[in-house]
Amino acid sequence: MSSNAIYQTDFPRLTETQTVGIALEQMLGNRISDLPVVDASGALLGMFKLEKLYAKLLPRAALLGKGLHDLSFVSDTLEELRGRMHAIEGDLVRDYVDKVDEVVHPDTPPVEIVLLLHNGANNVPVVERDSGRLVGMVSSRDLLATLHGGAGK
Amino acid sequence: MTAPAGGHAASVIFGLSPLWVATALFIVTYVVIMADKLNRAIVALLGAGLLIITGVMNQEEAMGAVDWNTLGLLLGMMLIVNVTRRSGLFQYVAIWSAKKVDARPWGIMIMMSTVTAVFSAFLDNVTTVLLTVPVTLLITDELQVKPYPYLFAQIFASNIGGTATLIGDPPNIMIGSATGLTFNDFAIHLTPIIIVVFVATMIPLYYVWGRHLRATEENRRHVMSFNENEAITDPRLLKQSLAVIVLVIAGFMLQRQTGIEPATTAIFGAAILLLLDNLGKDSETQSKNVHGALSEAEWITLMFFLGLFILVFGIQKAGLINLLADALLKATGGDFNVTALAILWASAILSAFIDNIPFVATMIPLIKAMGPSLGGDAALLPIWWALSLGACLGGNGTLIGASANLVVAGLAERAGTTFRFVEFMKVAFPLMLLSIILAHAYIQLRYL
Repeated sequence: MSSNAIYQTDFPRLTETQTVGIALEQMLGNRISDLPVVDASGALLGMFKLEKLYAKLLPRAALLGKGLHDLSFVSDTLEELRGRMHAIEGDLVRDYVDKVDEVVHPDTPPVEIVLLLHNGANNVPVVERDSGRLVGMVSSRDLLATLHGGAGK
Repeated sequence: MTAPAGGHAASVIFGLSPLWVATALFIVTYVVIMADKLNRAIVALLGAGLLIITGVMNQEEAMGAVDWNTLGLLLGMMLIVNVTRRSGLFQYVAIWSAKKVDARPWGIMIMMSTVTAVFSAFLDNVTTVLLTVPVTLLITDELQVKPYPYLFAQIFASNIGGTATLIGDPPNIMIGSATGLTFNDFAIHLTPIIIVVFVATMIPLYYVWGRHLRATEENRRHVMSFNENEAITDPRLLKQSLAVIVLVIAGFMLQRQTGIEPATTAIFGAAILLLLDNLGKDSETQSKNVHGALSEAEWITLMFFLGLFILVFGIQKAGLINLLADALLKATGGDFNVTALAILWASAILSAFIDNIPFVATMIPLIKAMGPSLGGDAALLPIWWALSLGACLGGNGTLIGASANLVVAGLAERAGTTFRFVEFMKVAFPLMLLSIILAHAYIQLRYL
C-alpha cells in the first residue's frame, strides 16, 4: 500500500497574496493548524503554520532559543494578545510561509509517513516528484482514520 | 608513528627540526583559528594531533601538557550554571533590578549593566549574556526604546566584570591555574580597578546614549507590572543552587587554607548540585536532568582549550617560547616596568582583534620563561595583572574581540537590531583605550 491510500486530495490551500485573516478562517473552518501555500501552477511554495502566527504574538526575546523559557512574569492580558492578532490579520500570507523540510510523494511507503508523523510532523504535503505540484495532504488524523478503520479512506 | 603510553617521544617525521615543525603547525593552526572559517575546536584538535603524529611530542607528553585544572574549573562552573538557570534566578534578578529604578531607561541601563558585570565576575561571559540579553530585549521592547545602547553597555559590562575574578574570564582561569594565584589574589588585585573602569565606562555611555533615552509612563508601567516572583520556576532548585554557589565561592576563597584546587571545588560543587536536584527522582528524570546539564556544557570551548594547551606545549618543548622570550627581553631592554606596560598595551590591542584565549595561552609560558631575567616568579605579579587586564579588557575594542560580543550581536540580529563592525568600533575602541589607560595608571601607581 502506498501513501495514496492515506492522503487527502480535497484539501484547503492558500496563495501567497491572500491575507492572514483569510488563512485563519480556513484554519478554523477546517479545524487544521497548517495550510499549504501554492503558486499559480499548483506547485508547493511552503506551509502557513499556526506556530509562526503565535510567534508574532510573543515578545521577540522569547524566540531567541536560549534565555527566556518562561514568560509567566509578563502580565500581557488576553485583550492585548487579541489586539496583536487583529493587527496582523491584514498581512499577506507570503510573509509567513515556512519552507517545507519534509514532503512525501504519491509512491512513498506508508511506514515512512508513520515515521514522519511520529517525529513530530503534523500535516505533511504530498507532491509529485518531477513537477513539485501539490497533490495531497496527509495528517495524523488521516493516518489514524486509515489504520483504525482498516478500510482505507 | 604513535608512541606507547609512557614511552619516549618519537623522532620527528622525515628528520625535520622539531622547532620548525612545531612552529609551522602552531602558526598554521593559529591563522586558521583567526580566519574563523573552521570551528576552532576542530582546528585546535587537528593541530594538537599533528604535533603528536609528526613526533614533536608523544601522547603522554600531550596529556601532561593539558591544564586539567582550567578545564575542570570551566566544566564545573558550566554545569552549575546549567542547573541553576532552570530555577529562573537570573531572570528574577534582571527584572527585579529593572523595577528597582522604576523602569527609567537610563536607570535600567545602569542596572542591567551592573547585573551583567556581577554575573560575569562569577560566570562565563557568554553564559551571562545569554541569560541577561533576552530580558534586556524584552524590557526595551516593552519600553519601546532602541535596544542597541543597552546591548552595547552589556557587552562592555560582561568583559569588564569578567576581568574582576579568577573565574570570570578564561584568560584569568588560565593565568590562575598556571601561576597558583588564587581567587582572593584576583579579587584583591583586580576588583578595585575593575570597579573604577566600570564606573568610568558608564559615564561616556550616559553622554552618548543615556541622556537621550525616553520612555512613556504607560510603557514604564508595563515593565513595572512584571512580576519577578513568577520568574522563579523552581523555588527548591533556587535554594539548592544558591547554597551550592555560596559554598563553591567560599571554597575558592579558602583555597590557600584548604589546599583544594578550584577545579576540584567547581566539579565537586556541580556534583553536589546535581545530586540535590535529582534526589528522590526516578531514574528516567535523573538521566534527563543530568544529560541536559552535561549536553549544554560548552564542549567546543573545552575541546578548543585541550587542543590549545597541547599546541602551546609543542612550541615550548621545541624551544620557540624561549627564543620569543629572549627577543621580548631584548626589545624591552630587560626593563621590568617597560615589559609590564608593553604586555598590558600589546595584550589589549591584540585582544581587540584576535581571540584572547590562544594569545594568553601563548603568553603564559613566554612570561614564565622571562621570569629569571625579571627578578624571579615572585616578582612577576604585576606582569600577570597586566596580561589579565590587557587581554580581558581588550576584548571590548571591536565586535570580534570577545565571544560574548559576537553572541550579543547574534541575539540582537535575531531580534531585529544590527551590530556593525565599524559603527561598534567607533564607540568601543576609544572606550577600551580609556579602560587600558586606567589600568596602566593602576599598575604604575600600585606596583611599579
